[in-house]
Amino acid sequence: MSVRPGEPALGREPPPSWLPPRTPPSGEATLFPVGAALSFVRRLREGVESGSDPVSALAGAIGGLPADAQEGIDRAMRRLAGGYSEDEWGFDEEFADALFPFLEFMYERWWRVQVEGTVHVPSHGPALMVSNHAGIVPWDGIMIGMAILKEHPLPRYPRFLVLNWAFTLPYVSFALRKVGGVVASPYNAIRLLEQGELVGVFPEGVKGAGKDWGDRYRLQRFGRGGFVEIALRTRAPIVPVAVVGSEEIHPKIGESALLARATGAPYFPITPTFPLLGPLGLVPLPSKWRIEFCEPIPTEEYGPDAAEDRRLVFELSERVRDVVQEKLYEGLVKRGRAFA
Amino acid sequence: MAGRRVLITGVGSYLGTELARRLERDPEIEYVAGLDTRPPRVKLERTDYLEADIRNPVITKLLPQTEVDTVVHNQIVRRPGPGMSAQAMHDINVIGSLQLLGACERSPTVRTIVIRGSAGIYGSEPQAPQFFTEEMSRLYPLRTRFQRDVGEIENYFETYSRRHPQVTCMMLRYQPAIGPSTDSQVTRYLGLPVVPTYLGFDPRLQFIHVSDGLEALLASIKNPLRGAVNVAAPGTIGLTKMIRLTGKTSIPIAAPLFPTVATLGRRLGAFSSLSPDFGRLLRYGRAVDTRRLVEEVGFRPRFDGVAAVEDYARTQSGKRIVPAFRDLVTSP
Repeated sequence: MSVRPGEPALGREPPPSWLPPRTPPSGEATLFPVGAALSFVRRLREGVESGSDPVSALAGAIGGLPADAQEGIDRAMRRLAGGYSEDEWGFDEEFADALFPFLEFMYERWWRVQVEGTVHVPSHGPALMVSNHAGIVPWDGIMIGMAILKEHPLPRYPRFLVLNWAFTLPYVSFALRKVGGVVASPYNAIRLLEQGELVGVFPEGVKGAGKDWGDRYRLQRFGRGGFVEIALRTRAPIVPVAVVGSEEIHPKIGESALLARATGAPYFPITPTFPLLGPLGLVPLPSKWRIEFCEPIPTEEYGPDAAEDRRLVFELSERVRDVVQEKLYEGLVKRGRAFA
Repeated sequence: MAGRRVLITGVGSYLGTELARRLERDPEIEYVAGLDTRPPRVKLERTDYLEADIRNPVITKLLPQTEVDTVVHNQIVRRPGPGMSAQAMHDINVIGSLQLLGACERSPTVRTIVIRGSAGIYGSEPQAPQFFTEEMSRLYPLRTRFQRDVGEIENYFETYSRRHPQVTCMMLRYQPAIGPSTDSQVTRYLGLPVVPTYLGFDPRLQFIHVSDGLEALLASIKNPLRGAVNVAAPGTIGLTKMIRLTGKTSIPIAAPLFPTVATLGRRLGAFSSLSPDFGRLLRYGRAVDTRRLVEEVGFRPRFDGVAAVEDYARTQSGKRIVPAFRDLVTSP
């Protein structure tokens, strides 16, 4: 994974120089007390690494605690008084930053994600990322976002179109919108792209999420190519993304129509651990991941009426699907064994 | 167009009276008539107050005599108030609007009809697009009584508009109003000692500040367009943020129990304001796209969603015995 900072993404014009580079959020930007604990560990490690003896490193780390606690309490008080901002989609950057350390752990230690090709993600302006999908919890979307936040020279938060059913669930519904999820509706995608956002979609939809273990990494039909229409209409480039590893975290061995009807879910997966172990069964398996961002497919060259051209839409949709599928097979070979 | 003649229904409401006052002061308006069963809130200078019930066919005789060219329909009831049954609300909304349109049929002078309708027609749906544009009014079934009322009014209005191409028919779809001087479902909800919320739901809400609501109505009278126009403040605000900004205490109720608690509260007289529409709003929220209002009508609201709520909160802080958490935290 080598990305030289300042390298123009997408081969377009370089990012404007007045734009301050967005640093990914650090452990300090978290809610008390997790933030305090994390920065305590970080300071301790820094102290030991810088060569001081363990006792003084510990003293230094403890010395920082009151300030951290104060900061955490101040932030919690401010938020409880309504002092936080959400954009018109309900995206709350501070909330998303607070989850960063946990997601960073999942990214670095749990799934050991390797990333390739972040330069292909435009650093500004609209773009549509199209990826393979697995699992009802959109871990793949979250990890694509993490890859951009951690590896991209000019990181930004992507928005994701999320399965509609999630928005009927308590807690899930607002947690999703606070980290950048929106209802999977073409109207939402078009509006986001018109606002110059980076949008991620999973055209496989529920068919992808409910793939059997034996069908993993075999791309399902890409709907009716709705995502291509959206890209053509907004003239946003399409960035195919291949995620290897996500399809092994919940090996689905069956499904229950009865439980699906009872819970209102689009399908109810049965895995070796779920629902046998209850909520514990939702812990994803620690497979090894590899995310590859492929070369963007520009859509600017087609006219504004191209979105109605069924043949073109179908062609582009198939092209994107082929790229993702090919990269998936390549990635599987490069990654090697899933649980090594 | 010199010397316009305007008739306002529902002149006894806050917005109706304020609208009449503003129109009176406008030199371009030759004549203002106000129709209602309740007299205007303040003494109006040159508004002709017509005491009549909008549901009564007598307005078919009354309206042509006024020779107005613009009719502003401002009498769509959004919630059954105290002493008003759901049936009466339905009658005023649907039968009243029908009678009014019937009266307009008999008035050859009418050139413009502006209805202050509701964005409630879009409903509150978990799978809905996060911003409704004007053509999305038929995406979902109309679930509540009020929604069906508004749907019926819009249908009649559309038919009327087709039959009378010379008349500019404008349907304004208002989001709930908020502001220091208004009495709406939102302000009643925020006026409760503790506010009930759905456990685990924090919907995006969108309002219009009352002063912007009035200005939007005036702008629409000045520059009427055919068809529907959404009226709302730019931006949205999360329910939790609104509750925190206004310094309220919320009591989360699990979704299956919510209707029971709401009914119980209504029985006890605690929350009369929780209509089924408002209940759905508290769970799933709703926001609309306002590009048509800004670009075509040419009106840009002064308050965005957060500013409107803050403006309301400022006037409420003096009314408390126990200071709000927010005031304790943010005091210098």
